[in-house]
Amino acid sequence: MTGITSTTALWYASRATGIVCLVLLTAVLVLGILVNQQGRLPGLPRFAVTGLHRNLSLLAVGFLAVHVATAIADPYVTIGLAAVVVPLASPYRSLWIGLGAVSLDLMLVLIATSLARAHIGRRAWRGLHWLAYACWPVALAHSIGSSGDLRAGPLLALTAACTLAVAGAVTWRVVRAVRATPRARRVAVVLSAQAGAR
Amino acid sequence: MSRHADDTRRAVAERDRGHARLRAVTAAAGVTSLVAAGAVAFALPGAQHAASANSASATAAASAPASGGSAASTGSSSSASKSTAKSSTTKSSGSLSKAASSPTASSGSGSVTSGGS
Repeated sequence: MTGITSTTALWYASRATGIVCLVLLTAVLVLGILVNQQGRLPGLPRFAVTGLHRNLSLLAVGFLAVHVATAIADPYVTIGLAAVVVPLASPYRSLWIGLGAVSLDLMLVLIATSLARAHIGRRAWRGLHWLAYACWPVALAHSIGSSGDLRAGPLLALTAACTLAVAGAVTWRVVRAVRATPRARRVAVVLSAQAGAR
Repeated sequence: MSRHADDTRRAVAERDRGHARLRAVTAAAGVTSLVAAGAVAFALPGAQHAASANSASATAAASAPASGGSAASTGSSSSASKSTAKSSTTKSSGSLSKAASSPTASSGSGSVTSGGS
């Protein structure tokens, strides 16, 4: 017997889907970095890493939709429909729910630009995709601030693990970028090698 | 020429295997996420706390069978529990279980109040 009843089910569903969504977004961010660095996952071809990044993004969006819908429908807190996308519009914990709105807005931009990638061009898509690095910390702040669930117990460990995973992946990317040979020099090396072969 | 065709066939088979693995991993991730969401919902601090509140209120209900009054008050206590949930969730993790359990706890207290009144 638990405290989840028909009246509190939405409250628990919102919290649970929010936590799962954070984990999925963490996985999506780490996979995105892996894709960018042309990394591979054991047992999967390289194109599958990109596919997994995309599929998990869609899965995260699904959980996010449930998270938002249950938060709005939940009778115990008053979060208006506008507060879903407009920051600071919620009468309930306006700052933290506002951060969630910012995160959702950024995510919508990421999704829309990814879907319209062929139309907006690779350079614009890539530039806008950098917003993912802002989206995740904002979502994390929203998760920690709007509910105490992630501040204690096993979920605190989960939050720490997500943070470490993202920090590790970002560090890996930065280190590789610093160590990588500049593109101009790489091109020069390839051209000189080709000239030598002739 | 046939070697080229074999290579192509092998590459296509490899690509199909990759797609199948991708589908399997995605499906596994989806199922795991759903199971995790359910498990997290039941394992949330509030749910456990509310469970004890529930059992306590159940014991109270068993000892004082005024179920008609308590059922009516559970409905009327929704606004009270809403404000309790709001006020208590603004506090830190120490009050998290309190906040999470507030809907059930408050409805439980609502039944006690109505029984008293």
